Amino acid sequence: MIHTFYRENDSFLHSLDPRAKIVGSTSALAIILLFNDPIITGSLLVSVLILGRLFGKISIREQLRLLKPLIPLVLFTIILWPVIYKPRLEGFMFGVSFALRLLTLGLVTFILLMTTPQRELIQGFVKLGLPYEFGLTISIGLRYIPTLYILTRNIMDAQRSRGWEMEKGNIVVRTRKMSAVMIPLLVASLKTAHELSIALESRAFGAGKRRTFLHDIKMGKKDYITIVTSLVLLGVALYLRYGFGFGHINVYG
Amino acid sequence: MIEVRNLYHAYRGENYVLKGINFSMGKEIVALVGPNGSGKTTLAKHFNGLLKPTKGSVKIDGLDTREHTVAELSRLVGYVFQNPEHMFFEESVFKEVAFGPKNLEKSEDEIRKRVSWALKSVGLEGYEERAPYSLSGGEKQRLAIACVLSMKPKYLILDEPTTGLDAKAEKRVVETIRSLKDNGHGILLITHDMNLVLELAERVVLLYKGEKVYDGPVEPFFDIALERYSLETPELLKLAKKLGVSFVRSTDELIASISGGVL
Ligand SMILES: Nc1ncnc2c1ncn2[C@@H]1O[C@H](COP(=O)(O)OP(=O)(O)OP(=O)(O)O)[C@@H](O)[C@H]1O
Ligand SMILES: [Mg+2]
Repeated sequence: MIHTFYRENDSFLHSLDPRAKIVGSTSALAIILLFNDPIITGSLLVSVLILGRLFGKISIREQLRLLKPLIPLVLFTIILWPVIYKPRLEGFMFGVSFALRLLTLGLVTFILLMTTPQRELIQGFVKLGLPYEFGLTISIGLRYIPTLYILTRNIMDAQRSRGWEMEKGNIVVRTRKMSAVMIPLLVASLKTAHELSIALESRAFGAGKRRTFLHDIKMGKKDYITIVTSLVLLGVALYLRYGFGFGHINVYG
Repeated sequence: MIEVRNLYHAYRGENYVLKGINFSMGKEIVALVGPNGSGKTTLAKHFNGLLKPTKGSVKIDGLDTREHTVAELSRLVGYVFQNPEHMFFEESVFKEVAFGPKNLEKSEDEIRKRVSWALKSVGLEGYEERAPYSLSGGEKQRLAIACVLSMKPKYLILDEPTTGLDAKAEKRVVETIRSLKDNGHGILLITHDMNLVLELAERVVLLYKGEKVYDGPVEPFFDIALERYSLETPELLKLAKKLGVSFVRSTDELIASISGGVL
């Protein structure tokens, strides 16, 4: 079962300063968004998988497993594009390309989360000049995903015990059936959100302006090298894309 | 009969959390106890097919749970989840209780009959038009039981049905369970409350780290050193022992046995 994404390990990525990792992954996300040629997006996905293996010590299999929840979205994208875009073959190609981008974006995020403890992530955001609330909101949101997943499973089990079957019926029937899960889920999540806000307030969250941290973080040589390398790569990607029009196929004519 | 043979269960790629369980039950009240994480819920979820055995087998009245869907098994085994709110989604108590039989494709007439019978069994007649979320904790718990009861299962699993209820609400739930048993239901009661076991159970099954370490009558169960299993002997029994009475089920019984001895 997944409780948090973070996994203790001794990889290079684990040892990096969170700021370096945030800059690195943001550059990676930007690079991915620059290109839409399926050959390029495909190679980027493979590169990220390899980088995750080499620098994060996360096995390829584990990385692929993390991407599994994205499969419905991926299929949806691949099916939808050829429907709305003519000629169909190109539509299909764009669908594949978008799906690959989606997977790569997801993977970069997962790798960041798996190699950075939540505390450091918040600290990284704050030290980069973003408000503490921003860091906290993001990390609480992320942390809530596994809880939500377990809750959904539990509610579905409760309804299945009452003879409820999602698999039965056409798409309209199924959508209506989802209310048996969505309503209890909504009620339970609102309750949790409410309890969370009370818990935060009772610890005087939002009372003072300046925040101090128990453990401080420090940038070292490898962090600077990582940041410079990421920015250089981003620069190169921008140059290739806008200087040469490389790796980009015009979708809208 | 619920028949469990040499059951092993491991959640996706993890270690076994149930290790070779053998168990069977009929129309009786069985208390399933054990510390947190000992595997009680995991075991119970096998009885209506929510989980399938990794190894071994589970049969309900001869039906192998591997070969039947949860919906099919729900006619035989009703599972009342710990948190009643996890199942409520309709705007009225009536509709909520009708949901199960509707899924079983029963006729309108039959559904109406079942709803009123189920509500009566848990003492919620007259609540038909109330909103499920507006009920009190104890009423919600009884509504949850009614929602499962309306499917007319032979066996009923109750996962911690009295947790968080006040004394009066708990009493109503206990009465409900007793009357269900008298009406021929087999009941599996998962609980941490030893007072409830003492008051209600006919048989106790103790799980510890995925293994069954006790299965038998209530009286010898309370001779086990329960602290080892993070369970607590009821105060009533401790008091009885001090007074030289070996076993009683209730305060009334204790009083009767002492005054009987004295007078
Ligand atoms: N969905 C799941 N995935 C992985 N492991 C699980 C899952 N559900 C339970 N477990 C693990 O299986 C073991 C048994 O859990 P189970 O919920 O059956 O115990 P329990 O006896 O019902 O405990 P409690 O008294 O806390 O309800 C625990 O170690 C638990 O962490
Ligand atoms: Mg449990």
